[in-house]
Amino acid sequence: MMASSYSAKDEDGHITVTGPGGAALRSKKPENTAFKQQRLPAWQPILTAGTVLPAFFIIGLIFIPIGIGLFVTSNNIREFEIDYTGVDESSPCFNCSQNFSWNSTRPCTCSIPFSLEHSYENNVFMYYGLSNFYQNHRRYVKSRDDSQLNGHLGSLKPSKECEPYAKHDNKPIAPCGAIANSMFNDTLELFYNDPNGTKVLIPLRATGIAWWTDKHVKFGNPGDGLNLTAEFQGTTKPVNWRKPVYELDSDPLNNGFINEDFIVWMRTAALPTFRKLYRIISRRDNMVPTLLRGNYTLEVVYNYPVRSFEGRKRMILSTISWMGGKNPFLGIAYITVGSVCFFLGVVLLIIHHKYGNRNNSADISN
Amino acid sequence: MAKESFESGLSWEVRANSRHFHNQKKSLLCFGWGRYADNVLRSYKYSPLTFLPLTLFEQFQRAANLYFLLMVVMQCVPVIASVPWYISMIPLLLVLTVRGSKDLINDMARRRSDSQINTRPCDILISQSFQSAQWKDLCVGDVLRIHRDQVIPADLLLLYSSEPHSLCYVETADIDGETNLKYRQAAGATHSELTAHPVEETLAAFDGVVLCEEPNNRLYTFRGELHWRGECHLLESEHILLRGTVLRNTEVAYGLTIYTGTDTKILKNSGKLRVKTTQTEKVFNFVVIGIVVTLLLAALLLAIGSGVFSSRVTGHSNVLVANGNPVYTGFLAYWSYIILLSPAMPIALYISFELIHTVHSYFIGWDIEMYWQQADRPAQARNTSLNEELGQVEYLLSDKTGTLTQNRLLFRQCFVAGQIYGDASVRAEDVEPMDLSWNPYSCGGLYMSAPSLVEKLRFEQCPLSRQFLTALSLCHTVMTEWKEVPPVYQSASPDEETLVGAARELGWVFLSRTRDFVKVSELGVTRQYQLLALLDFTSKRRCMSVLVREPEGGLKLYCKGADIVILERLQKDSPYQEWTERALELFSQACLRTLCVAVRSVPEALWMQWSKTLARSAAMATCDRDAVLEKLYDEMEQEMQLLGVTAIEDRLQEGVPETIALLRQAGLKVWVLTGDKKETAVNIAYSCKLLDPDTRLLEWQELRQILQAPDPGANFFKSRQMELWAVDTNTAGAKTAVVLTGPELAEFDQRPEWGSTFMSVAEQCQSVLCCRVTPGQKADIVTLVRKHTSSVTMAIGDGANDVNMIKTAHVGVGLAGVEGGQAVQSADFALSQFRFLQRLLLIHGRWSYKRISIFLRYFLFKTCSFALVHIWFGFFNGFSAQTLYEIWFIAMYTVLYTASPIMCLAFFEQDVTAEISLKWPEVYKSGQRQELSSPLVICLTLLHAVYSSFVLFFIPLGVFHNTAFDYQTMSVTVSMAATFTATIEIMLVTRYWTKISVASLGVSVVLYFIVSRITQSRFLFERSPKDYFFIGTSDKAFIDPVVWLTALLTAWTAVLPSFTAHALSVIQTAHDKHKVHSVSLQPTQLKTNFRRATSLRRSSYALSQGAGPGRLISSGTCIRSTAPPVDEKMTCSNNLPLSQGQTHTKDYNSTSM
Repeated sequence: MMASSYSAKDEDGHITVTGPGGAALRSKKPENTAFKQQRLPAWQPILTAGTVLPAFFIIGLIFIPIGIGLFVTSNNIREFEIDYTGVDESSPCFNCSQNFSWNSTRPCTCSIPFSLEHSYENNVFMYYGLSNFYQNHRRYVKSRDDSQLNGHLGSLKPSKECEPYAKHDNKPIAPCGAIANSMFNDTLELFYNDPNGTKVLIPLRATGIAWWTDKHVKFGNPGDGLNLTAEFQGTTKPVNWRKPVYELDSDPLNNGFINEDFIVWMRTAALPTFRKLYRIISRRDNMVPTLLRGNYTLEVVYNYPVRSFEGRKRMILSTISWMGGKNPFLGIAYITVGSVCFFLGVVLLIIHHKYGNRNNSADISN
Repeated sequence: MAKESFESGLSWEVRANSRHFHNQKKSLLCFGWGRYADNVLRSYKYSPLTFLPLTLFEQFQRAANLYFLLMVVMQCVPVIASVPWYISMIPLLLVLTVRGSKDLINDMARRRSDSQINTRPCDILISQSFQSAQWKDLCVGDVLRIHRDQVIPADLLLLYSSEPHSLCYVETADIDGETNLKYRQAAGATHSELTAHPVEETLAAFDGVVLCEEPNNRLYTFRGELHWRGECHLLESEHILLRGTVLRNTEVAYGLTIYTGTDTKILKNSGKLRVKTTQTEKVFNFVVIGIVVTLLLAALLLAIGSGVFSSRVTGHSNVLVANGNPVYTGFLAYWSYIILLSPAMPIALYISFELIHTVHSYFIGWDIEMYWQQADRPAQARNTSLNEELGQVEYLLSDKTGTLTQNRLLFRQCFVAGQIYGDASVRAEDVEPMDLSWNPYSCGGLYMSAPSLVEKLRFEQCPLSRQFLTALSLCHTVMTEWKEVPPVYQSASPDEETLVGAARELGWVFLSRTRDFVKVSELGVTRQYQLLALLDFTSKRRCMSVLVREPEGGLKLYCKGADIVILERLQKDSPYQEWTERALELFSQACLRTLCVAVRSVPEALWMQWSKTLARSAAMATCDRDAVLEKLYDEMEQEMQLLGVTAIEDRLQEGVPETIALLRQAGLKVWVLTGDKKETAVNIAYSCKLLDPDTRLLEWQELRQILQAPDPGANFFKSRQMELWAVDTNTAGAKTAVVLTGPELAEFDQRPEWGSTFMSVAEQCQSVLCCRVTPGQKADIVTLVRKHTSSVTMAIGDGANDVNMIKTAHVGVGLAGVEGGQAVQSADFALSQFRFLQRLLLIHGRWSYKRISIFLRYFLFKTCSFALVHIWFGFFNGFSAQTLYEIWFIAMYTVLYTASPIMCLAFFEQDVTAEISLKWPEVYKSGQRQELSSPLVICLTLLHAVYSSFVLFFIPLGVFHNTAFDYQTMSVTVSMAATFTATIEIMLVTRYWTKISVASLGVSVVLYFIVSRITQSRFLFERSPKDYFFIGTSDKAFIDPVVWLTALLTAWTAVLPSFTAHALSVIQTAHDKHKVHSVSLQPTQLKTNFRRATSLRRSSYALSQGAGPGRLISSGTCIRSTAPPVDEKMTCSNNLPLSQGQTHTKDYNSTSM
């Protein structure tokens, strides 16, 4: 494919002059080695139109099928998304979204009916999505204490990075910082409206949604993790939280800092529009689809305010493939870049034929 | 009296033997300085105390270093620290240390060479006796004793020497490059008064006061007065011994120190030490400033964005950390962004740059083909920061003596009686030595094989050739020095020395001369000729003659001179005329310097009459005398018979013509700047192929007209076409050369507007020769070229007289010849041979330029494309200066992941091999045009970098938008894409794949994966959770197909433009390299027909000074007392030599008659 010349040059080895009488009288003559004489054997590709042009077509031909493959895979993924922010007055959550305060004692609930056009096979992943939420803002991202989250409550003095969410009422906040303080605290429940009229609660699995390293290495409860209430003695809950960190879950393996909802939240998003894994709907058996086609109700305990920053909240149900969730962009991008390469190849070919002919002899030489 | 002197500008007062007077110091606070400098040479910069502050000061003058220092300081402020401080501290420290230690090592070397000079011995008169001391102990007013062959340590007033008339001889090779001897003479007063014995006492009692000019750099003038014993004696440059000259042929000379150390004329002539920076570096500094300004602007815009964002979003929500005032937020964001974007400003670049330069310099030193066996000296890059400049040189300004020529003249051929002896086509070293064992005076040094001539001479077969040799042994101004047999010849003209030497080898041995007699041994028979008159050489007459009376009584005039002069004074029907023409033609084609030798038998009557006229005119007033004498000489030099033609080879350095031809092909303009005289310079220019045989010389008169014309360019072209160049208008431009001399150049000082005109004329010309120029003028010419063109200039020379020009040029090359050279000390590159220049420029220079410009562009690309991503990311994180990369990636990216492949490229890249570079020197021209480092190219590179950063952010954005992928995974994806982009880009530019480059490429990519895994490992996290909080991300990301697909797509899209550009250049433009591979060049043999016709003969007679030293010879002042004892003692007190000589002759005549 490539014209090449391999120039291996002779290597005479070292020459040192020793003077008479055995005394090493070194000559200043440089050593005649391939390195010092800049004659290292090397492969020198001679680029010609004949080698460069096919590269464009080949890359085009590789990229386009990959793109198509990705696009098809992405399209086969079933995904359902519903916005429950309650911006419209018609929306069931409109009331909840209006009278908001972080610390209201009475939970506001709303239920949103929806229907799935298709049945969902295999494991179904349930996400919550937020928009216009700058979880990647520097001062927000910084506002955490990894040492504390790892279980070192230690001196009870959270890192300075947590300011102004480091202390409250002169007690250190656990977990401290803005990220923890703004943790997503809506509760979502899913009911299947059986055609016969009964509402069936769909079992949602709350574990296995965090990264293994996060759960087992990065996050850790103080002490042995058995008596969390005692371990967290002397700390206070984040300002916006309704209950302290050691009451997040009844399961001791999913409580305190190693609560998976908490861990997922703490793994900040890259971009202002993001989704985070909330629950997994496990497949029951091979015969029955995980989610049947039909009507469902989403029951929301509406705690999380987003209107102040014009954010949106969504609930997403999705199956996954080898490439994760639905992602049409990658496939389209591959197809586009592949086509551009192909196009460039054609243009260069035309140029080559129009102007390049007189240099043909040059290309072949050597 | 002193007051008067002050008014006339003679304000420098030197009192002999009065150290106290000269050591008075003015002092202010604790700093003191004297009016008189001491004699210590200080070229070093640092002392142990000042090293650290000075080197830091120097280094922080580099904008980049200062900038990074500011960055580090800013990163220590927690509010704005978007990146921890140690991330940029490490590279900064590294840069400072490496640079500092390099400077230190250089300075140590300078100190060593200084102390070598400062500790040279000299004898100083202290309390009535000479004590040996060192140069550095010398003070103004000290009386010194200089021995034969000693270097003179300061500018001295010659008081007295051991020779008659207090003459002494000095060699000024280090000052003007001429190796022939010059004489200096003490003032009459000091000579006569200080001769008394013992010398020490009289000298110690000497209390003269010298008033002279303030120290200046005019080498050839000196004005002063000596006030002593109430009398005032005028002093001229003839009385001065300059520092750096060497005393020759004189046993002892005593001198009064007038200027010392930095006040001496030679040091006044050497310019200030200036730090040289390369053109590329300048362009690059400009680019860096541009980048900084752009970054500040971008940071400002982002900061405004941050303020707006903060007032719009965070103000209403307490989800984010709100901090009230948007202006304050913006202010903080501004500084944070400056820190965050600072990696775009490549700090590692400067350190890599120096490293590459150093390695390239090593390659120069390692080049076995630039190693000179005879002196065991490899090439040396003394200044390791100018390598790429070697690839861009357009003007090569060369010294002549010792650089182009070896300053060895060889008698190669002669033409006698219709026959040419010797063969110039054989190299001088290969000439078969003749058997001259019959000649007891023979001591080798004749590179001519002509056994037939010897036979004819020895067996008296050809009277003409015997006469020819008699002429050679008689007609000259050479002096002999007898130490052992054979005598050593000393001459003001190297040509004469060679001719007399050749005659000696062939049996005609010049033994000695007195004022009136010349003694010659002709094949063992000693004959004494009476010297009747010496018709001296002047540059106008271009010949010299001697009128002698043979022992048999006949009168003969022997004459030698330039061919045009001699040929027109011959007898009408002299034989061999046609053969002579032919021989001259042949000699000139062989680039030999010719002289015609002729004889005339002078009738007694003519002589009587002529000598009377001569005596009359010699007594005339000085002003008219010269003209009258000249006319008189002309009368005598008539009706001559041609004896023969000598052909002398001015030995060029090995390979000079080939090298110059090659350099000219490579587009370099070679100029010759020499202190030597015009004839010699022109001759050498022809013989070293600098000028073609048909090149026309444009001399001052003509040039002046062109310069004065309103439209010089047009005038120049017109004059060219009007004249003989109508034949071949195409080559007319290239076939002209300008010849200038020092005094003519001085006119440029008064007319600065001529400079640009002159340069535009010179650009059209093949070459420019500047003769009789001072070291200062050499530098002025370099400055002229630098001022009026944007080209890179290179100066090459070997002597101290070249130091100034070497320092002034962009690149200075010093030749370390057999004797080692002063020029080397201040040169940037030291070579042993002129011919090595072709490798230095065409191979090392070209490669360096190529490598470094690719390196710079790539470096810009990789840092900018990597850092500018943060601008785009800013739009999606509320302009909060959040990094898109793990901080460790920022630290390692330039140092580990992308550094080694580009370094390999910068070390090893070869677009064409060394052989091809020399075979097709035309490929060098792309460097002169700065094709690879022009602002346009750099702008395109920057544009590509911006595009790449855009792609690097927005493709991952598209993929990660509204997905469950978190920030850290995106970080890893983008950093992976950035690493891939940099890697693919380097693969595209590499054309020379050694095993090392392949390995380094593989290693750096693998390193990225390994180091990422390490910094994101559990081990490090547990030690410092705050610094290694990316734990586990790469474990997950590196097995995620989406991450891989995104990174690959992004990287490919980012390099697509440069890939297309490469493809386009392969397809469309006929690359230099492809030309090289395909076009077989026809050498310019076609012109040869034309060449014969216009071939110019080069006949000249080289004397360094205007008039020959005939006056001294005929006055007898310079005749040495070491002549053979048979000689009569001469009384030398006469000031009118010719008339004196004449009276003698009269006596002789009367006795003989």
